[in-house]
Amino acid sequence: MATPEQGIDWAGDTGQVSRLRGVAFEVTCLAAVAFALVSVLVLLLYVSADALRPFSADPGWHLVFFLTLVVPSVSAALFYYRRDEPAGEVAYATTGLPVVGVLGAAVFAVVLDIELVTAVEMFALLVSALVAAGIIAAHARYRPRAAAERMAVLFGAPVVTILGVPPAEVTMALNAALSALGLSIEFGVRLLSLREVILLTPVVPLQWIMVALSLTVPVGAVLGGYVARVRANPRAGLAFVGGAVAVSALAPLVGPVVGIGATGWILLVTFCLLPVAVYVEGVIRRREGIAGLTFPLILVGGVVLGALLADLFGFAPPDPWLDWSFLTSAHSRTPAEAGFYPPIVGSVMMLIVIALSTFPVGVGAAIYLEEYAPDSGLAGKFITLVEINIGNLAGVPSVVYGLLGLALFIRVLTMPTGAVMVGGLAIGILILPIVIISAQEAIRAVPDSHREAAYGMGATRWQTTRSVVLPQAIPGILTGTILAVGRAIGETAPLLMIGAASSVRLAPSGFFDQLPAMPRQIFAWSTNLEPEIRHGVLAAGVVTLLVVLLIMNGTAILIRNKYQREV
Amino acid sequence: MSTDTTADAITSRPAGREARERLYRYLLFACAATSIFVTVGIVFLLAKDAIDFFTLVSPVEFFTGTTWLLPRNEFGVLPLLTGTLLVTVIAAAIALPVGVAAAVYLSEYASERARSVLKPALEILAGIPTVVYGIFALVYVTPFLRFFGLPLNTFNVLSASVMVGIMIIPMISSLSEDAMSAVPDSLREAAYGVGATKYEVSTGVVIPAAVSGIFSSFILALSRAIGETMIVAVAMGSRSRLFDFANPLQNLWQGNQPMTAAMIQINSADNVSGPGFKSMFAIGLTLFVITFLMNLVSNRIAARYREEYN
Repeated sequence: MATPEQGIDWAGDTGQVSRLRGVAFEVTCLAAVAFALVSVLVLLLYVSADALRPFSADPGWHLVFFLTLVVPSVSAALFYYRRDEPAGEVAYATTGLPVVGVLGAAVFAVVLDIELVTAVEMFALLVSALVAAGIIAAHARYRPRAAAERMAVLFGAPVVTILGVPPAEVTMALNAALSALGLSIEFGVRLLSLREVILLTPVVPLQWIMVALSLTVPVGAVLGGYVARVRANPRAGLAFVGGAVAVSALAPLVGPVVGIGATGWILLVTFCLLPVAVYVEGVIRRREGIAGLTFPLILVGGVVLGALLADLFGFAPPDPWLDWSFLTSAHSRTPAEAGFYPPIVGSVMMLIVIALSTFPVGVGAAIYLEEYAPDSGLAGKFITLVEINIGNLAGVPSVVYGLLGLALFIRVLTMPTGAVMVGGLAIGILILPIVIISAQEAIRAVPDSHREAAYGMGATRWQTTRSVVLPQAIPGILTGTILAVGRAIGETAPLLMIGAASSVRLAPSGFFDQLPAMPRQIFAWSTNLEPEIRHGVLAAGVVTLLVVLLIMNGTAILIRNKYQREV
Repeated sequence: MSTDTTADAITSRPAGREARERLYRYLLFACAATSIFVTVGIVFLLAKDAIDFFTLVSPVEFFTGTTWLLPRNEFGVLPLLTGTLLVTVIAAAIALPVGVAAAVYLSEYASERARSVLKPALEILAGIPTVVYGIFALVYVTPFLRFFGLPLNTFNVLSASVMVGIMIIPMISSLSEDAMSAVPDSLREAAYGVGATKYEVSTGVVIPAAVSGIFSSFILALSRAIGETMIVAVAMGSRSRLFDFANPLQNLWQGNQPMTAAMIQINSADNVSGPGFKSMFAIGLTLFVITFLMNLVSNRIAARYREEYN
């Protein structure tokens, strides 16, 4: 801090020189921002050009699409930016939501394709979970005062309906242990769970019906409930559910015509059409930024018109490396046939492991640190230590986490080298501190007055946390988690350390199969010196990975902006 | 959920509530304690194999040896250390000034609207996976620098280090910007009151007041550069070289191998066993200790500055 004596040099010195110096400084600072952004943007443009090869098309093709797609969409964007800002946001969301929805549908299509979970299993699980929830809700309603009993019901009901008594895995482990001890007793008698009973049913309807029952109906019911609530009109909710069922019922007719099959249509309805319908309903109800709804129409119309015109004039479209066959075929030695399908599936399965293992632990830790942890005394010191430790873990290099995964999961717990589970758990531990820190921030942002109001009503700590704090903190927690998961998808070093194979030709169909992951495959291609790999297949892989990340980070930032405005 | 049921859930005081509260408390505590287990697990598991390694290779040989050649069982960590240092120094030379200048612009000069675009853009850059940065360095930056007549090998230190520098810019600028935004406006207004210009306020008031936050962002970013793995593994080749003081520039044109890349190489080589495999854990432990200490120091510095202005 400047003392008054030093201050004399600068304060009040308002000559021409100082102004020039100020301008030069501002320009330097602006140049720094520009350097940080532009240097990477240029590299991104180069890699996209390699992946998409826009210059392999006729100039006429570019002209047609410039006129039908670029000019209308850019002028629409400019209009929103200048005149109608809410419409700009609506345009962004109505364009982004279907993209995210299609990605979600694609994930489920892959899950069904590799038979990680079949449609019947999904249905059985849903019904059993609903029955368990019903039992718990009924108990809470009819015996509201028996808390200890409710704990038993809370844990007992899912066991009875989903796992069976005793769970199949427990029986198997028990029998294995008994046979290892040389005893020839076998526990054959167990009470089948509701889920297993449903799975035993010999009559299995068509796949699309099962998917519709287990996905579209619950999603439609939840969204319909939301519509009924915001409109304060149960009939609107019923109409929404009815519409959802009607559109799903078109599956056997429309699906094959569109070329995605009946199941594909159901998935598209569930993940894309229904959420978009709810969002559009909200926009129209609020009467804010309705002009933005035309933006996706402009885009789709531009693409269709452009394709028709280019076909009419006979302009050749570009021949990109990143195309449909790249996304749906396995790696091959010939660059033209090399694909990215197994790595995409592997990354998705890894994400499932990460989400199931890291999210509950991370949010639980954040709740403890923010709501429960003592501030003073020896315990308080311990908590301070835990918090410092979490901060430091966030800065530990990822390669060290890979080493931890190798030592812990493969050498101590003897899991198979390079398995999906090992990769997911190692990277899950890596992002755990990030999840905890961002969840802590979200929980801290909930005003204390709300907690005090709850305590004042006689609520316990857990009741306050569950009913007051968490509902408000969820958007923040979600944002932080999506960003952390985005980081997890791109992590490569831990995968190398746990021995993920460089090229896996088959998509994994279980959590202990070999893990092919997007960044691992990209690294493998980067060691190949062939120009067709280096400036083609590699670039296509990089662009695929980046697009996935861009969508995830964009969603996270959108959620955060919406949430920040509401607070 | 309607208001009635919420009120009901909050106010009902059933028997056995104590037991349930205690159960949830223990469950949540177990979640929080996981982080301690992770740290202990890293230290313990890495130390176990690292100690095994040091019974085979003496620590003196490891920390003072000047050649790292796995096939000949020569385990001198110095070339790897100088490799890491070289990358870190070049990256810092690029990232520290650019990062701070960008932070000054975002915090002091940018309009609200520009900031609302620039900050998320920088955040998205920070989300690009490092393996992608590595490929940028190998496939695009090296040919670009060669175009200017630099005698670069295919795998070289310069483009990898430049890329590491570009990668850590968003980290420095966002953390430093937080520190600068935390400087109370009263300080700025006092300076304007005695006739200071915006330039004088930025360099004479804001930067000195935020210096501990800026410094802690430097340390975090450097620890990130030290631990950076994929950029160097992709773009710097796999031959370790001790820093050559005779012709310093030559060090930049050639490939090199820092600690992190060496770990990757050991793990991906099939025929490495015995001390070679264990050496990975010794390097890993060294790396963990260095970065962990740097983070601790950075926390201390940041904590001191927070006390001053809150």
